[in-house]
Amino acid sequence: MRSYLVTRIWQSAVTLVGVSILVFVILRVVPGDPAKMLLPEGAPQSAVDELNRHLGLREPLWVQYGIFLRSVVRGDFGQSFQYRSPALRVVVERVPATIQLALTAMALTVLVGVSIGIVAAVRQGSAYDYAGTVLAVLGQSLPNFWLGIMLMLLFGVTLRWLPTSGFHGWQSLVLPSVTLAAFPTALVARLTRSSLLEILGQEYIRTGRAKGLGEPRVVLRHALKNATIPLLTVLGLQIGTLLGGAVITESIFAWPGMGKLVVDAIFFRDFPVVQTILILSATIFVVINLLVDLLYTVIDPRIRYG
Amino acid sequence: MSRLLRQPMIVVGGLLLVAVIAASAAAPWLAAADPIKPVFGQRLQPPRGLGGAAGHPLGTDNLGRDILARLLYGGRISLVLAASAVALAAGAGVVIGLAAGLVGGRLDALVMRLADVQLAFPVIMLAIAIVAVVGTSPAALVSVLALSGWVLYARTVRAAVLTIRRLDYVEAARTLGAGDLRVVAVHILPNTLAPILVLGSSQFATMVLLESGLSFLGLGLQPPQPSWGLMLAEGRDYLSNAWWLATVPGIAISLVVLGANLLGDGLRDLLDPRLRQ
Amino acid sequence: MEKPRLSRRRFLLGSGAVLGVAAGPRAARAQARRGHVIAGLSERMLTLDPANHYSISSTSVLRHVYDPLLDVTNDDKFVPALAESWKPVNNTTWRFTLRKGVRFHDGTPFTADSVLFTLKRVRDNTKLIKSFVYQDLEDVRKDDDYTVTVTTKRPFGSLPAHLTMLGMLPPGAAGNEDAFFQKPVGTGPFRFVSWTHGDHVDLEANTKYWKPALPKVEKLTVRFIPELSTRAAALRATEIHVIDRVWPDMVSTLRATPGIKVLDTPAVEAQRWHFQLAREAGKDPRIRKAVSLAIDRNTIIKELLLGYARPVVSPIPPGLIGHTNLGQKPYDPDKARAILKQAGYQTLTLDFVLMKDLYPKQLEIAQAVAAMLSEVGIKVNIRNLEIATAREQRTAGNYDLFFSGWAHMPHDPDWYFGQWFTRAGAEKLTRFSDPRVEQLIAEGRVPDPKVRQQKYEEIEKILWEQEPEIWPYYSVAIYAISDKLRNFEARRDYYVLLHEVGIA
Repeated sequence: MRSYLVTRIWQSAVTLVGVSILVFVILRVVPGDPAKMLLPEGAPQSAVDELNRHLGLREPLWVQYGIFLRSVVRGDFGQSFQYRSPALRVVVERVPATIQLALTAMALTVLVGVSIGIVAAVRQGSAYDYAGTVLAVLGQSLPNFWLGIMLMLLFGVTLRWLPTSGFHGWQSLVLPSVTLAAFPTALVARLTRSSLLEILGQEYIRTGRAKGLGEPRVVLRHALKNATIPLLTVLGLQIGTLLGGAVITESIFAWPGMGKLVVDAIFFRDFPVVQTILILSATIFVVINLLVDLLYTVIDPRIRYG
Repeated sequence: MSRLLRQPMIVVGGLLLVAVIAASAAAPWLAAADPIKPVFGQRLQPPRGLGGAAGHPLGTDNLGRDILARLLYGGRISLVLAASAVALAAGAGVVIGLAAGLVGGRLDALVMRLADVQLAFPVIMLAIAIVAVVGTSPAALVSVLALSGWVLYARTVRAAVLTIRRLDYVEAARTLGAGDLRVVAVHILPNTLAPILVLGSSQFATMVLLESGLSFLGLGLQPPQPSWGLMLAEGRDYLSNAWWLATVPGIAISLVVLGANLLGDGLRDLLDPRLRQ
Repeated sequence: MEKPRLSRRRFLLGSGAVLGVAAGPRAARAQARRGHVIAGLSERMLTLDPANHYSISSTSVLRHVYDPLLDVTNDDKFVPALAESWKPVNNTTWRFTLRKGVRFHDGTPFTADSVLFTLKRVRDNTKLIKSFVYQDLEDVRKDDDYTVTVTTKRPFGSLPAHLTMLGMLPPGAAGNEDAFFQKPVGTGPFRFVSWTHGDHVDLEANTKYWKPALPKVEKLTVRFIPELSTRAAALRATEIHVIDRVWPDMVSTLRATPGIKVLDTPAVEAQRWHFQLAREAGKDPRIRKAVSLAIDRNTIIKELLLGYARPVVSPIPPGLIGHTNLGQKPYDPDKARAILKQAGYQTLTLDFVLMKDLYPKQLEIAQAVAAMLSEVGIKVNIRNLEIATAREQRTAGNYDLFFSGWAHMPHDPDWYFGQWFTRAGAEKLTRFSDPRVEQLIAEGRVPDPKVRQQKYEEIEKILWEQEPEIWPYYSVAIYAISDKLRNFEARRDYYVLLHEVGIA
């Protein structure tokens, strides 16, 4: 087990370095000139070249990467091209809003999704099951922005119960997190349902029932535990979606999060910010998935890693 | 076959899908109007039942084009794209997941690291990179979509493989001399079929929505050719005064997703021997 | 000679400030300063350094914190700000007389040293975005504490216009810039409080502003909300007081909401779709003419922009020096077909490149144009690319028609001509080159407005004839405000200036 852990940590480190190199190279190889994005549309080519020189973009790729690595080790992720402020600061400013939104959406996903899934599975074939399916379908197919804007118009403009945009206290969390959670909730609901159905039909559950354990206990204790594996797989991946893929929700609600920051930075060719975010989120992602993998072994002793 | 038909979910889901696919395929006959040519002077007309003119049952869009026509023609493109992407993603993902799970060791580690690295990238960045190099084309779009989706299959299949191969009866089968391929075919695949079907059917919707996101970021299909994704994107700016522009393709997508999900769930219910009835 | 047109009122106010005679205690005369105005802008501010950006939104926001030497009014007049007067001594020399009795937010007096520091800094530090504009400054000299003489390498008639965009910095910022721009000070009507990158900026009133009784509100917050529907929703929910960059289709929804007013004004912006003159289609003036004839500009204005645009009569929009009337371009698809047939083009394909999301309804308009051109036998491939990629394609010359616009920032066409119609400027862009035009542009750089007008009119006549670009319409700027907001001026240059607004 311990050697497994060590191996995994080593692999995670390799992954991170791989990510950093890939980001670095892709940004500089893909067409798109940061200086051109900063300078106005009709600026002379000489100004463009000069600015690129200042931004350090005229050095050979490997020299740039070397400089970058050395700074990163010191905690300096460079200056954002857009904001002319340290990239790390620009990114970290966004962390609280991002985390709060992600956690709220995650909580909604798990609570609502799993509940719907359980009800649908336990009452398979009933009206509840169909209702659950319909809700799941809606959640998966309603476009993010449609849901967001409709919610905003209803609760923000017409009813004025909640703020329409921005991050001004806990009320601001409601609409964006519901919008963001819609899709993962539906996915989780369906997966919970199908995993539960599988497991509820299995031998050892039947045994449990035969032993006389009450239905709810059977379901919750044994079935859920085993349904967790595919669930965790999906959740682990959803975190990536929530963090980096929340761009549409963040755009609609003017949410000061990292999703919008990274997409804006990509479009603007703000290399330092893109690099910072991707490396940070890759780190979080790798750590979380490591934890998920470890949880596998805890939950299902049948899975062993040599 | 009769068992198939006795599952209401499969029937309903299947019919729904068939209906949508058939309608899209029959677009030239069902849609009277031109989906591409703008008609100024009849922009943003609501659907027939809500105050709109005759001849446009679902209303007109921001360039006066018949929404029903665009929906049907657009369906062809979106459905084919989404299906191709899902097929590609699932195919690649399953193969990779099987390989990683069965072979284990270095291959497994490599594949999983590759997956991690790729997942750490927002799809948009991958899309920008790919499009910047090969340009916007349906093939590029399908590749981007498939690239965003394969990992889910790979991981699920791999996890299932890891669980199943240790099960007693599988070990027993191997001791008895069953080769890897047989083990895969008889024991592993059927057990992974269920989650794959569920994933596949849910990914279908994701693909259509992803195509929409990419299209309105300028990385997908180019107008004036309609696709549901583009229609959604174009309708986004008109949600407060002409909501049907985005809602109509949204409903179409919902129907497809409903159908695909019902079909997937029904098939899974049917095929998995361990499910309680 | 460029004399600022001082109205009597401004003169009195100005002299009042100069003589330190503020006609009685300001506090007693000023109305109570109250209220917190919140604006929702579409473009985020990128920096607090007036010399380090070239964005309309940043200029607009920073104008509240810093004053420039002069301002431009909404009726296109240049008026004094920190400079009381300015005049060209000769073709390459400008002299500025500065306002006395002005202090920065930290108490430092504003003097010629500020001007020297600000101008030299932007010229010498080539890392600053605006630096390239000021490379023509030869020398900036202090004649006395309140007079500055600027000499330029070649005639720089548009210098005053550029200076309206450059806020003056205190000389104390020298050597300490990073720290300074954390909490910058200017002489403007508002003090800087805080800035959350990409989200909002908070300002509070400068109670000692040199213009009496301004600002009228205590606090100002500018939020950056790029999504139009979100901006509009926030206004309708009374969370903010003013929004900019409203689209024509949103107007009816906003007008229907009680408590909201919609204001519009023709902008100093002309849309321009430029040809790639090195490619087959762009090279041939007949094709360009045919394309121009095939585009029904009035339908675009009326149907797609709902009337929120104006027909073009010269490449330079009204209000700027050089504007003239060359008549409207005709719409004549039959003639277009005839020209193409005569020139021997059976089918033609054009790549029409757009920069994603840059201009309102651009995708719609492009599709309309594609339909119009297909009527005369030209097939159009619309390529809606993200901005960075689109620009690379433009530099590489990979397009036939490029959807763009030009908002004259500053209010002076010299830069537009210099960049797009000189050989050096257009080399990596449209590849335009015409020696006569080039010469006229150089001649138009002198300070004398009459000379400039004449030169520019000549240039425009040539361009109108050659049609290296299509100018489909002049834009209209649309704003929406809460009716609690008093005294808001809908500006033609897209700036949202809130010094003089009050809250009811």
